[in-house]
Amino acid sequence: MPIIAYQNVLQGLTVQEAMRRQVVHLPQDAPLEQAVRFCIKYKVNALLITGERQEGLGVVSKTDLMGAYYAGLPISSFCNAVMVGPPLFCRAEETLDAALDTMRRHRVHRLYVRGEAPGRVVGVLAYPDIVGLLYRYCLNCQKSIRRKSGSEPLPDRFQVREVMTPEIYGRREDDSLQQVMEGLAAYRFGAVLIRDGEGAPLGVVSKTDLILAYKHEVPATAPAREVMTAPVQAVDAGGALVDALKTMIFADVHRVFVYQESPRNLVGTLSLSDVARFRSGTCRACLISRIKIEGGP
Amino acid sequence: MDLTARDVMDTRFYTLRPEDTVADAVRSIQEASRETGQTVFGMMVTDAAGKLLGMLSIYDILLLLRPKHIHIWGEMEDLEVSGVLEAACRRAKRMLVGDIMTTQVVTITPETHLLLIIDIMIKRHIRRLPVLENGKSVGMVYFSRVFNHLRELLSS
Repeated sequence: MPIIAYQNVLQGLTVQEAMRRQVVHLPQDAPLEQAVRFCIKYKVNALLITGERQEGLGVVSKTDLMGAYYAGLPISSFCNAVMVGPPLFCRAEETLDAALDTMRRHRVHRLYVRGEAPGRVVGVLAYPDIVGLLYRYCLNCQKSIRRKSGSEPLPDRFQVREVMTPEIYGRREDDSLQQVMEGLAAYRFGAVLIRDGEGAPLGVVSKTDLILAYKHEVPATAPAREVMTAPVQAVDAGGALVDALKTMIFADVHRVFVYQESPRNLVGTLSLSDVARFRSGTCRACLISRIKIEGGP
Repeated sequence: MDLTARDVMDTRFYTLRPEDTVADAVRSIQEASRETGQTVFGMMVTDAAGKLLGMLSIYDILLLLRPKHIHIWGEMEDLEVSGVLEAACRRAKRMLVGDIMTTQVVTITPETHLLLIIDIMIKRHIRRLPVLENGKSVGMVYFSRVFNHLRELLSS
């Protein structure tokens, strides 16, 4: 059990305590179709691409797969045509603080954990893994308000509007998937809100929807409404954070839209990582160490 | 006695199509289990011509049910989430078999020796092996049936 320091709740924690040991990987000559299938099946945003000796050569993310779709690459193309390499590494015994610094410096949300053998990867550390661990340690901390309250449930102290990001990227239902992808690439959003002709929210097109469309060979010129997920998962800006969290859990999404007064009036987005960070802040140490990566997941 | 896949394979096997939904697949798995009197844990996925495209196992379906962000909210013991399993099942039911099946399938031929089959099953942690003849599926060898065939030799 690490010592909870005054200044930083992450102090004393190492990468191996937060990393996942299951690394979803593919050889560089695997077809993109397989990469899409692995992203869907294992619910991951990126895959490690490995060489003949299982060494990490690069990464293929949902964004890279979306880029291949946009560029019109055949789905039978190999992963090495779109992979970004080499992967960014950290070591299992490195502190989480150092790993977070690396993520911030390179503006990435994922580091691969290097093993003893050259190039060998033994785990993956993603930003949400650190958030989950932070939450656990905050709950176990002697200073935690929740711990002090015993079995009595605490009222949620935060409202959605205090945590949300007041930005939305939207397109019209008859805009093409190409236009949707251009917007996603330019603004670094994870999903696009799709509106009808009168501006009312109709659905959402995420990178997952786009790579599935790629696999199903939907033309990139098809209208957004053809692949969007409906209805829009949205929560009230004045609602409690815990209710927003439940909406995300039940829909198995990382981000929901936020409305003000009416579900037609969307005013922002709320991410699961942001919710977890705020719900963990029950003492001064936690508040100081609230973590953030610019353009976080 | 030199047993091969032909001697131990089950020729009454069931297949799925890539365009089947997970709900269709689960119904087929239930039906196959009922008809064979044994729990079926995985099925071949073939095209209309009977060409093997992949395999779908119960593991593939369970992967779909696992929530993406459970490593975050799984820590939140103070959160009441009754009904979340039903919601996960509703989402999973709509997925297509072709989007989650395993395509790197190890196959054998009817002439594959039983000891080689055992070796493959142990080394690759495989419990069922499709048997192909001239590229077409002709049977399935199950881990449990292999053992059943050896029971007599092992116990006498």
